[in-house]
Amino acid sequence: MTDLTYAQIDETVLNTLERPRPRYWVFVALMLCGVLLGAGAWAYQIFVGIGVGGQDIPVAWGTYLINFVFWVGIAHSGTLISAILHLFRAGWRNPIARAAETMTVFAVCCAGLFPFIHLGRAWQVYFMLPLPNQRLLWPNFLSPLMFDVVAISTYLTVSSLFWYTGLVPDLAVVRDRSTGLRHKIFRVLSLGWSGAHHQWLNYSRGYLFFAALATPLVISVHSVVSWDFALGVVPGWHTTIFAPYFVAGAIHSGLAMVLTLMIPLRRIFRYEAIITLNVLENVAKTMILTGLIVGLAYGTEYFIAWYSHNAVEWESFRWRAMGEYAYGLYFMILCNVLIPSLFLLKAVRRSVPWLFAISLAVNFGMWWERFVIIVGGVAHDFAPHAWGLYAPSLVEYCIMVGSFSLFFFLFLLFCKHMPSVSMTEMKETAHHAG
Amino acid sequence: MPAETCIMGLFKDDGKAAKVILDLPAAGFSFRRAHSPIPSHRILEALKLRKGRVGWFTLTGGIIGFFAGFALAIFTSVQWNLIVSGKPIVSLIPFFIVGFEFTILFSVFGNVIGLLVCSRLPDYGGLESYDPRCSGEHFGVLAACEAGREGELMDFFQKKGGEVKVFA
Amino acid sequence: MNTTMPPVQPGRNAAPQRSLFTLGAVLAAAGLAAFLAGLLGPHPQRAWQAFLINFLLWSAMAQGAVLFSAVTHTVKARWTGPLSGLAGAFAGFFPVSLACFLILLIGKNHLFPWLHEDLHGKEIWLNIPFLFTRDGIGFLILYGTGWAYLSQDLKLKFGTSAAGGGLRRMLAGRIPQSDTDIQRVQRRKNLWGGLYCFAFALVLSLIGFDLVMSMDPHWVSTLFGAYHFVKAFYVGLGALIILAAIVHLRRGRSAGIAAAHFHDVGKLFFAFCLLWADFFYVQLTVIWYGNIPEETSYVILRTVTPPWDALAWVVFIVCFIIPFVVLINRRIKTMPGAMIALCSIVILGIWLEHLLLLGPALNHAAAELPLGVTDGLVFVGFLGLMVLALAYTLKTFPEFLPPGGEAPR
Repeated sequence: MTDLTYAQIDETVLNTLERPRPRYWVFVALMLCGVLLGAGAWAYQIFVGIGVGGQDIPVAWGTYLINFVFWVGIAHSGTLISAILHLFRAGWRNPIARAAETMTVFAVCCAGLFPFIHLGRAWQVYFMLPLPNQRLLWPNFLSPLMFDVVAISTYLTVSSLFWYTGLVPDLAVVRDRSTGLRHKIFRVLSLGWSGAHHQWLNYSRGYLFFAALATPLVISVHSVVSWDFALGVVPGWHTTIFAPYFVAGAIHSGLAMVLTLMIPLRRIFRYEAIITLNVLENVAKTMILTGLIVGLAYGTEYFIAWYSHNAVEWESFRWRAMGEYAYGLYFMILCNVLIPSLFLLKAVRRSVPWLFAISLAVNFGMWWERFVIIVGGVAHDFAPHAWGLYAPSLVEYCIMVGSFSLFFFLFLLFCKHMPSVSMTEMKETAHHAG
Repeated sequence: MPAETCIMGLFKDDGKAAKVILDLPAAGFSFRRAHSPIPSHRILEALKLRKGRVGWFTLTGGIIGFFAGFALAIFTSVQWNLIVSGKPIVSLIPFFIVGFEFTILFSVFGNVIGLLVCSRLPDYGGLESYDPRCSGEHFGVLAACEAGREGELMDFFQKKGGEVKVFA
Repeated sequence: MNTTMPPVQPGRNAAPQRSLFTLGAVLAAAGLAAFLAGLLGPHPQRAWQAFLINFLLWSAMAQGAVLFSAVTHTVKARWTGPLSGLAGAFAGFFPVSLACFLILLIGKNHLFPWLHEDLHGKEIWLNIPFLFTRDGIGFLILYGTGWAYLSQDLKLKFGTSAAGGGLRRMLAGRIPQSDTDIQRVQRRKNLWGGLYCFAFALVLSLIGFDLVMSMDPHWVSTLFGAYHFVKAFYVGLGALIILAAIVHLRRGRSAGIAAAHFHDVGKLFFAFCLLWADFFYVQLTVIWYGNIPEETSYVILRTVTPPWDALAWVVFIVCFIIPFVVLINRRIKTMPGAMIALCSIVILGIWLEHLLLLGPALNHAAAELPLGVTDGLVFVGFLGLMVLALAYTLKTFPEFLPPGGEAPR
C-alpha cells in the first residue's frame, strides 16, 4: 500500500519531534490564553452563580449542553477510525489512526468538563459518585444524566487506555532514538517494551480486543447522550430516532474535525507521503454516507411530525423552519447535507482546499444542529405562554472559546512531543524494510 | 568466564529471521528471544506459539462488570425505595445501560491487566540484552551459545545475512 | 487498477438440478392451496395476514441480500469473494415480490385497518390509491436500480459470446469488448450500485412506515423505517449465508467459498444481529421511559399483554439471545451446516417478529395467537417461491454462481 521503507517512516515521524520553531510556541501561547480566558470565565461563574449564563426558563440547557454533545460527537469518529476500521482491516486508516485516537481522548476531556461547568455549584459534583451522603441518598441510576456519568467516564477511561496501549511500541521507538532527558522519560513511558515475540503475541490479541470493545462504545455512548433529550417528553426531543441519528451525526462531525486537523498537520510535518490524498479521500467518502444518513434523519423527523398529526409536535417543527431560530435549521441543512454532497464529485474529494473548507462547514453546521435541537426543543414546547428565547452570554462565549482552545492546546502539545503517526502501523502496511 | 554468551543476529527481513530461528537448534544453539518492530506472522509461526491468554482476563472482567453494573443500579435504587416518575424501583430496561457500560469498562480493565501480565510488562530488565535497532528496521534473534563457541554463532548469523551484536 | 475482467466460466454441471425446481413448485403449490383455502374459509383476514407477513419477510430477504452485493461493491471491500455473486442471485425474487405487492390490492379490505377508521386528516396519506402508487413506484425504483446494477455486473462476467436464450441476450445487452467499454460498464455499475443502496434506505423506510407502522394508524415511531431496513439486511445476510452454505456443501471446495468467507460474513451477520437488537431497544427505551399513552399502548399490547407477551419473549430469544450466544464462538461461523441451522432459526424468528408487530393490529382483542397451520403453509409456499426464483436465476445466469469446473457431488 505504500512504498516507504521502515527507515523513511521512522525518520519522517521522528523529525516532527525535533525542537519546534518559535512560531509553534506562539500558537501554543495563543491557545493557552484562550484556555485561561475560559477558566477565568468559569471561575467567575462559580463565584457569582450559574445565572451569569444565558440559560433561563424555558431554555435551561444552552451552549454548555451544545458543546458537550459537540465534543462527545467529535470523539466518536476517532474511535471509529482507530477501532472499527481496525476490525474491518481497512488499511487506509493506519496513517491517521494515532492522531484520530488522540483527538478522541482530548475531545472527551473537553466534553467531560461541560456537565461539570453546567452544574453551577461545581463543588457538589461528588453527589454523582455512588457514595451515600448523610441522608443515605444514593445517585438515581434511573436518570439519563447518571447514564451519562457512567457512559462518559467509561468512554474516557477506555479511550485513554486504548490510546496509550497503541502508543507503547512507538514510545519505544522514540526511546531508542533519543538521548538525555527525553530518553529517560520515554524509557519509563514505554514500559520496557522491547518488541519481544511474547510481547507482540499478547499485544496483537489485546489490541484486537480493545478495538472490539471500543466499537460498541461508539454506538452506546452517543446513544446515551441522545437519551438525555429523547427520554424526556419535550416535542422535538422525544423521538425514537435520536440514538442512531446522533451517532451518525457524531461520526459526521468527527470526520470533519479529522480533516480539519490532518490537513494542516500533514502540511506542517511534511506527512504527504504518509497521510496521502487517498486517505483524505476515503474520509471524504465516509462523510458522504454520514451526511446522507443525517439528511435522511432530518427528512424522517419532519415526515413523522406531520404524519403523527400531533398539534404540539407539528408546531415545534413548523417553528423550527419558520421561527426565530430558523436560520439555524438552514445552516444545519446546508452545511451538513448539501455541502458535503459535493464530495460525490471526485475532483472535490481530491482537492485539499475543498476538503478543508467543507470540513469547516460541517463543523459549523453540526454545532448549529445541536443548537437547533437543544435550544429549539425547549424554547417552543407545549404551552404557548411559556415559549421563550435564548442567547448565550459573554461568560458562555468565553467558556466556549476556552474549550476550543483547550482542545487545540492539548493537540498542539501532543504533536510536538509524541509521535503523531503510528510508526508501527505504518510499517505494517509498508512493503519492505531497508 | 560466563557459562554462555548471548549474541543477537539482526536482519532486515523477517523471512530471514524466521529461517534462522528454525535453523538454530540444528546448529546446536539455543534460542532466547526474537525482537521485531512490528508483529511478524512469519516469526510467530516459526516459533509455533499458542494463542495468547489475554482473552480470559478480558472475559472475566466483562462478567464481573456485567453483574457489578446491574448490582450498583439495583442497590442504589432499592436504598431509596420510592417510585420515581412512575417507574418501578427495579427497572431492567434502563438499568441495562449501566450494566452494559460497566461490562465494557471492566472488560477493558481485564484486557489491560491481561496484556501487562501476559506480556510481562513493565519489563525494564529485558532491555539489558536488547538492541535499539530492533524497533527501527531490524528483526533481532537472540541466541545463546556455550563459552568458546561465540565465533561459530557469529558466523552462523553473518552467513544468513545478518549483523551481529554480542552481549556479555 | 486492473480494468479487464476475465470472463467467468461456470462449471457445466453447476446449474441447479431439476429436483430443485420440483421441490420449489411443490412447496409453492402447498402454500397457494393453503392461502386459497384460507380465503374461502370463515376468516379470510387470517390468510391475508399470512400473505402480508410473508411478502414483507421474503422481499426483505431478497432486498437485503442484493444490498450485500451493492454495498460491498460500493465500499470496494475485497473480502467477499464469490459471496457477492451469490447475493446477486436473489434479485430473481424481485418480480415475484412486485407481483405479490399488487396482489395485496385484492385483499385491501382485510389488510388495512385504517380503511375503517376515522383518521382525523391522515387520509391524504393513508388511502389506497396514494399508498399503492407511491409504494409501487418505490418498489419499481428499488428493483430497477438493483437490476440495473446486476446487469452491469453480469456484462462484466459474461464471456465474449453471449451464449444462451433470449432472456439472457435481452437482459445482458451488449457485451463490452474493448477496455473503454469495460470502463464504461464499471462506471455504470458503480453508479447503479450506489443508487440501489440509497433507494434501499428510502424505499424500505417507506415500506416500513406504510405497510407495518400504519396498521396502527395513530402510533408513530420515527425510527420505524430505519428499523425495517436494518431488519431486511439482517435477514438478507441470513438468507445469503444459507445459500452460500448450500452451494458449498453441494460443490465442496470447487465452490471457492473458503472458511474465511464464511467467517467474515458470519461476523457481519453477528454485527447486524446486534444492530437489529439495538434499533429494537432504542425504540423500546424511549417509549418506555417517556411513558406517553399514545406511544406506550402499542408496546404494552405487544410485550406484556397476553397472548402477545409470550411471542415477544420468543422473538427476543430467537432473534437476539440465541444468535448472540452461538456466534460468539469463532468456529461455528465456519461450519456451513451449523450456520444453515442458525440462520434458518433467525429467519423464523423474524417471521414471528412480523406477526408480533402486525398481529395485534389486524386481530383486535385476540384471545390466542393467530398462528396456525395455514400460516405455516403460506410461509412454506413463499419458501417454495424463493427456491424457484433462485433456481431459475442461477440456471439462467450461472455467472452468479462461484466459478468452478468440477462436477458437483
